[in-house]
Amino acid sequence: MNAAAAREGIRRGMRRGEAEGICPRVASIERDRSAEMIAFESVVAAVEGLIPRVEIVEPGLIFVPVAGAVAYYGGEAALVERVVKEIDRVAGDGFRVGLADGPFAAKHAAEAASGVPPVLIVEDNAAFLAALDISAVGREEVVATLRWLGISTLGELARLPGSAVASRFGPVGADAHRIASGRDRAPNPREVPIDSTVVERFSPPLRDLDHAAFVARAMAGRLISTLASIGAAPFRIVVEAEAADGTVRSRTWRSADPLDDRAIAERVRWQLRAWVDGVGAGIRGGLVALRIEPADLSGTGRQLALGEDSHAAAETHRALTEAQAIVGADGLLQAHPQGGREPGEQVAWHRWGEEPIVRRDPEAPWPGRVPGPSPALVPPDRRPFHVEWDGGMPVRVRLGTRWVEVRSWAGPWRRIGRWWRGENPRDQYQIVTSAGAFLCEVDDGGTWLVGIYD
Amino acid sequence: MAMGETRSPNMSPRPQDGRTRRSDSDDAGGQEADATGLPVVGPGRVAVLSGDPGSGVTRLGLVMLAEHAGRGVVSYLDVRGWLNPLAAWEAGIDPDRLVIARCRDAVRWGRATAALLDGSSAVFAEIPDGVKDAQIRKLAALARNRRTVLLLRPLSRTVPAGIAHLTLDAYETTWSGAEGGHGRIGRRTTRFRASGKAMRGMTRTIEMEDDGSHALRLVSGMAAPETGRALG
Repeated sequence: MNAAAAREGIRRGMRRGEAEGICPRVASIERDRSAEMIAFESVVAAVEGLIPRVEIVEPGLIFVPVAGAVAYYGGEAALVERVVKEIDRVAGDGFRVGLADGPFAAKHAAEAASGVPPVLIVEDNAAFLAALDISAVGREEVVATLRWLGISTLGELARLPGSAVASRFGPVGADAHRIASGRDRAPNPREVPIDSTVVERFSPPLRDLDHAAFVARAMAGRLISTLASIGAAPFRIVVEAEAADGTVRSRTWRSADPLDDRAIAERVRWQLRAWVDGVGAGIRGGLVALRIEPADLSGTGRQLALGEDSHAAAETHRALTEAQAIVGADGLLQAHPQGGREPGEQVAWHRWGEEPIVRRDPEAPWPGRVPGPSPALVPPDRRPFHVEWDGGMPVRVRLGTRWVEVRSWAGPWRRIGRWWRGENPRDQYQIVTSAGAFLCEVDDGGTWLVGIYD
Repeated sequence: MAMGETRSPNMSPRPQDGRTRRSDSDDAGGQEADATGLPVVGPGRVAVLSGDPGSGVTRLGLVMLAEHAGRGVVSYLDVRGWLNPLAAWEAGIDPDRLVIARCRDAVRWGRATAALLDGSSAVFAEIPDGVKDAQIRKLAALARNRRTVLLLRPLSRTVPAGIAHLTLDAYETTWSGAEGGHGRIGRRTTRFRASGKAMRGMTRTIEMEDDGSHALRLVSGMAAPETGRALG
């Protein structure tokens, strides 16, 4: 959401229809984290110019340890002023800055920041956290119960004995209590095995970003497998890319939860795209080396569920990665349900290993949806279908080189189509022959096959 | 499957009623068939499903895959690129457990199927043109070795003899629910010729009913002698 939308009264979490009611000119676009990271790269670079060791959590959120910088710039206020000035220069308005003890408090300070410029420097960390709503712990499974028990702020939760909370709610409750008490997660100070860093060199240099992202996914899988063998997972990774001209660029990504292979691959892809399409010199001459180094290892999050077989999961991942290398990134797919009327519209495809993007709510009513059972085969584009008609009734269909009698049929069902997008009205039929049943459409251009009940 | 009984078609072993028998020549994977001719396709077995598009073979294969989705990822090698995952979800496969690979090329098809056999609990592979018999035999051996169920759907060729534990050939399909423009199709009845080791050497006709729900229903398991050449 941009500043202009905010000025019109549009807020985060608002439904699309509601937003269009407030501002008919509003344009809704699909969230693209890579594009967000490209835009955000300038902010990261600007802050990095002032303070080293910037850590990216997600596009739009960075943490910076400031202990050294506060002394260097002569105080917290002076430091924040410099940071605000830099961000304002590269990104304009719409940002917020928070300064507090630890990432959790700093993030909530930034969210609570208001005024011009929107900055909040927390003086009393405990008091600030104590006033936050209980939902800030982010553990939905315990928040509702805590509210029911009359605990509505972090302060009230922090005042409870930690052992009692852990006893009642288990590890999730203990985590919530730790957060409420202002203690950020302290990763186990485990030594990072030297051979856990994964490196891939490319000759000739890689110029295709998709290819690089594909390689990154395999690297992430290798990294997680290596760490899993010692029962560890990283909370932080360093992504380093070497360009053909010798330039080496590096960024640190962190997470509140252990990063898995999918999360790592995603972050590497965002980062590479930001380097290529964002500010700066890009990756000149192509990518000659990619390196992913884990940090802040912890055993947290690696506790296997009862019945989970880590070896089988790793083997499945390895095998599917190999299959993907054979058939190509677009050849290995998964699908998730989404809303729609036609069989093809009800499927959200995505590459294996990537997050599904569901564009339409599958739970919403879709009047006129083709009823089940669904055709098992749906051509990517509708195909010409030869049907012989007699008085508006189908009599024969041609399957390959032979004509087959129609045994029964149902329809027509009128599909008006999205006329405002130039779609023509058409009629749908279910046609049953001795060879099987078919879903077809009839419009001015003829008869088309849209599904086979195979 | 017995007349009138409701069972899943991929026929997991059911020893409780004493009707499931293990033959003397059985190997580690288990070769089972119940008294009514119910074939079993267990881990490491190969089944061949054939029939015209529209005969219900894809749906049958998806229901057979669904039985193994509880053990891990199941894969569908989609040569035509036409598979509609809606049908797979209706058959009971969790979207997170289904991986679909698309590959038309005969050479890469073999390698891709081998990789999928390594990482899946069951693989349903359409066979494109140009695949050699030796390639299919190697994949069958790999499936046995990895104890992965392999369901083969030849699109335009035959599968070499001797590798299939069960062969199901759909030859007749009828639909009810649609008539003269009214109603809509709802229930399908498909007749298959079933043969192979799982049928203990006999060719039988089995009839399956599919109402679009999670499970198919086998309504009869009739012994059907193969039609020989006749001179009249």
